[in-house]
Amino acid sequence: MRTRIVVAVLGTALLAGCSMLPQMPEPVPTSVVPPVGTAGSQLSPDGFDAVQRMAVRIRNVGCGTLSTGSGFAIDEHTLVTNKHVVADSAELEIATYDGRDVRATAASTAQLADLAIIVTAEPLPYAPQLADTDPVQGDPVTVVGYPLGGELTVTDGTIVGAEQDPLQATLGTVLVTDAQVEPGSSGSAVLDADGRVVGVVYAKSASGYSYVVPVSTLKAMLDDTSAFSPAPTCTG
Amino acid sequence: MPSGPPPVPGPPPPPGVSVPPAPASYPAPTAGPSWLPAVQHLSGPPLPPPPPGHALAPGVASAPAASGGPVRAPRRRRVAVVVLSVLLVASLAAGGITVAYLLRTTSAWQDTAAQWEHVARAHGAEVAEAQADLAATREQLATAQARITQLADEKAQLGDESAATQQLADYQARISQAAGDVATALATCIDGQQNLIGYLQNPQLYDAAALASFRADVEEYCGAARDANAALQAELTR
Repeated sequence: MRTRIVVAVLGTALLAGCSMLPQMPEPVPTSVVPPVGTAGSQLSPDGFDAVQRMAVRIRNVGCGTLSTGSGFAIDEHTLVTNKHVVADSAELEIATYDGRDVRATAASTAQLADLAIIVTAEPLPYAPQLADTDPVQGDPVTVVGYPLGGELTVTDGTIVGAEQDPLQATLGTVLVTDAQVEPGSSGSAVLDADGRVVGVVYAKSASGYSYVVPVSTLKAMLDDTSAFSPAPTCTG
Repeated sequence: MPSGPPPVPGPPPPPGVSVPPAPASYPAPTAGPSWLPAVQHLSGPPLPPPPPGHALAPGVASAPAASGGPVRAPRRRRVAVVVLSVLLVASLAAGGITVAYLLRTTSAWQDTAAQWEHVARAHGAEVAEAQADLAATREQLATAQARITQLADEKAQLGDESAATQQLADYQARISQAAGDVATALATCIDGQQNLIGYLQNPQLYDAAALASFRADVEEYCGAARDANAALQAELTR
């Protein structure tokens, strides 16, 4: 009996001792590079930022007149710009950030704000999200558009305040930013730090400030189908 | 294997302790270490006499008594010696195996460490090369993007120029058309007026009603010329 106990103790001690011995190493793999998945990638197909891909250039060919403006997509076939950008046009010509032409099939203007929407035949490259709330004083913003009808430009600034529309073109208050804009920037998207749309540029003051239709007004207009009517055109 | 020193007789038994004579099979005590505690007791300090009725320790109790008691103690000691010897050999063997295993494990880990270092250095070189390629690719991408933006702008400017040129061409076509209309109407007016002047130089030769009708036609031609001229002026002022 005692011998069995001794054998058992010795066996247990032997097993315990063996378990304390270091194990042999695992074989070294030939490669430790993990597989790289592409699903959910935030990279754009051509390396351009989403800020640039959402922007469009609008050419208003009127009856003896020619003007340019900016706009941005809100879904695959709809873009937003200013009412005065599309007004009195015989033809609207739209180009994306990379120079591709997009045909406009319809244009509508808002009654109570300097806003317009254009429906396109071809899909637009990228549509940003609309912010839930308006920005407040001090918030950083980014403006993307085509000032003076030139190259696509991204400009940074901050919200400096809110006031009644000095042009009486938009109901309610409008935002004021110190982001530099020029004629041709009308309809540019104003983005917050997260890349969401917080407003639409529509005017510039003599002191260099720019006026912005807040996103709350834009969303209110978009939610009300009766707020838009066909854009006035010219003939002859 | 050299043997140890010859066995020497143990110390005299202490008073009060009776030591039985060693039997022929009894192992002789040695001066070296021993696995047998009973022998060590013999060489230790004197033991007090056991109290009456005291049960000796198993090893001691199993020692053969001088009075000719049981003789199982030597056999158990032999068994213990054998068992302990086996255990010693087994321990030595286990130790040797363990040392061999540890040596082999150490060598394997060294090989593995070397292979990992090789893999790490290879991947480090690949990463460095990839970073250099990435930097160059980023630069190329930035250049390509700037060029794409520039080309898009050039295309837009050309489109603007084309639209403006088309508008100018349309304007000039309208002006030309209006001017042509003015010229045609004016020529008709002038011809009519010249004819009317000729007719009026000898009115008795013509029917008065026909002459009045012709005069009305001439006035209409000249009115059309005035309208065409007004349209031309309107086009010029657009």
